[in-house]
Amino acid sequence: MRQLQLIRSNTFRWASAVAAVFAIFMIAMFGFIYWKIDGYLITRSDRMIAQQLNFIAVLPQDRRVDAISDHLSQDSRGVQYAGLFDSAGNRLAGNLARMPQDFRVDGASQAARVAPVGQLQGGDPLIRAVGRRLENGDVLVMGRNVDETGEISRVVGQALMLGLLPALCVCLLAGAWLSVRSQRRVEEVNQRVQRIIAGDLRERLPHRNVNDPFSRLAVIVNGMLDEMETMINALAGVGNDIAHDLRTPLTRARLSLERGRTHAITVEQLQAVADKAIGGIDQSLAIVTALLRLTEIENSRRSAGFGNVALHEILREVCDVYEPIAEDKSIELGADIGRKLHVWGDRDLLFEAVANLVDNAIKFTPVGGKVGLDLLRGDRETIVRVTDTGPGISEQDREVVLRRFYRSDKMRNTPGVGLGLSLVAAIIKLHGFRLVVHPGPGGRIEIACPDKANGANLPQG
Amino acid sequence: MMKVLLIEDDGGTAEEIVAELSELGFEVEWASDGIDGLDKARALQPDVLIVDRMLPGMDGLTIIEALRKEQVSTPVLVLSALGAVDDRVRGLRSGGDDYLTKPFAVVELIARIEALLRRPADSRGTTLRVGPLELDLIERTARRGEREIDLLPREFRLLEYMMRRSDQLLTRAMLLEEVWNYKFVPATTNLVDVHMGRLRHKVDGAGELQLIHNVRGSGFILRAQQ
Repeated sequence: MRQLQLIRSNTFRWASAVAAVFAIFMIAMFGFIYWKIDGYLITRSDRMIAQQLNFIAVLPQDRRVDAISDHLSQDSRGVQYAGLFDSAGNRLAGNLARMPQDFRVDGASQAARVAPVGQLQGGDPLIRAVGRRLENGDVLVMGRNVDETGEISRVVGQALMLGLLPALCVCLLAGAWLSVRSQRRVEEVNQRVQRIIAGDLRERLPHRNVNDPFSRLAVIVNGMLDEMETMINALAGVGNDIAHDLRTPLTRARLSLERGRTHAITVEQLQAVADKAIGGIDQSLAIVTALLRLTEIENSRRSAGFGNVALHEILREVCDVYEPIAEDKSIELGADIGRKLHVWGDRDLLFEAVANLVDNAIKFTPVGGKVGLDLLRGDRETIVRVTDTGPGISEQDREVVLRRFYRSDKMRNTPGVGLGLSLVAAIIKLHGFRLVVHPGPGGRIEIACPDKANGANLPQG
Repeated sequence: MMKVLLIEDDGGTAEEIVAELSELGFEVEWASDGIDGLDKARALQPDVLIVDRMLPGMDGLTIIEALRKEQVSTPVLVLSALGAVDDRVRGLRSGGDDYLTKPFAVVELIARIEALLRRPADSRGTTLRVGPLELDLIERTARRGEREIDLLPREFRLLEYMMRRSDQLLTRAMLLEEVWNYKFVPATTNLVDVHMGRLRHKVDGAGELQLIHNVRGSGFILRAQQ
């Protein structure tokens, strides 16, 4: 089973494929070497026998026979062949019994099967030979055995075996080792992942050095797990916050109902109790509605409702709506809308975002303070800035304010669901804008809308 | 007597609505699924339809679409547990005239049905009159009897809406949606009250008969007569 898995593993297969390709290349290389050497030897033999033929052919007739026997007697290895035949084909001298068959007597080198004199067994050797007809009609044949090439091929074959077999073994072993190693790591990762699935969110994948791709992958996944752990913990926190925020008004509603049931004597008293209870339930419902709305915006992928939105108009409308509220609190609500600026977005959602910011600013600004709403151009972006003279947001609160339900302790007794800024953040994110929260004292929050390449966010007018 | 057809699958909710509407003098019919609802809508010819968005048998919006195709222009109030903007838009596009998200207060439902049944005062005239109040839509001026009322544009808009729907209960949500074009619930819960307070201060002067009435816990009414 384990062996089968090993063979099936991709790593091992790749190693085998590499080994096969390697072997093919080795064989091809050795084949090429053999072919080249063979060719070289034949060319050399051809040149030699051609020289010998020329040498003997130009000798006077009477010295030729001697020259041939001299030539043959000097050949200790027995690779030389020579033959002199008369025009009728009868042997005059040399060690060739007869003219080779199908032999062209034209001075060109060729392969020929010859019958040596006195050899009875072992077959006729295949040699390189060249022949020429002399002036007196005789035929002179010179030849040389090129059996060395066979020897070379044997040597080459041996070298091939010696080199190729160990290389192949090394390849397969390396493949097997890599395969086992990767399987072990996969198994290790699997165990850790199983622990994560089982609920251990702090578990991380193993990694050794950063250059190994497997480790790099592990580092990436670990980064994702970090993010998810933070998110899940935050969600759990949110769950607690929701439960707490829902329980408070529901508890109040329940208490007043209970008390009313026991103590109310007149219809008016009972009605007052019911009103109180309805108020508490409405508050809980408002939280649920706000939550659903937040989820809706966060999950929304729609940009179908997007269009060119006149920010200056939105700011003016928000001012219009909130002016009386601010006045009631003796807060000066001033708007500085210098230019007509447009952005690409959803009009209703952007109105909601700006309204929420202004709502918050008014809520947290003490009586007699100031809230400012400005529309201005930054560096290649359009900025909606809401300022106030309230406590602002402290450095350490900046991140957390955007979390759902967060309300700083100072604000605990201020009415409000506490989702306002989260809603704004979700809307801003949907639009691809940035929410910039400047540290206090004095609130300063900006919606920065970067210019789009297509010019939709560019100032107009 | 006004005939109302309620198409709602949740028995508990339906029971409450039927009881409340009957008490107010409406003749109420109830259908608990889409197919029955469509049949009743064709047969009874009600003055107003209350349709739940999610129904067994047939989707609420499908019913409205079917009726509109048959040239039935009965006003429809769509009820839905879905608060999603897209659903809201879809509800209105398919011919529903108003949209209410569950959970809702019964007064809110009644107010919206009343509003659907009573089409707003003729909008072609250039002057609106309610009791001693007079609104010149061209000049953008308002007067009460002989007294000139100096209104800010936003106050003018609010008063215009109220005069077009005089003697009707106007809930805060309706005002937010219609006058300020709000598509969400503002964090400041007394937003409408503050605006209404300003307007009332200008409309109902000292010693004058009160025209703008606060209906406790539900909304406001502009009344011509007491």
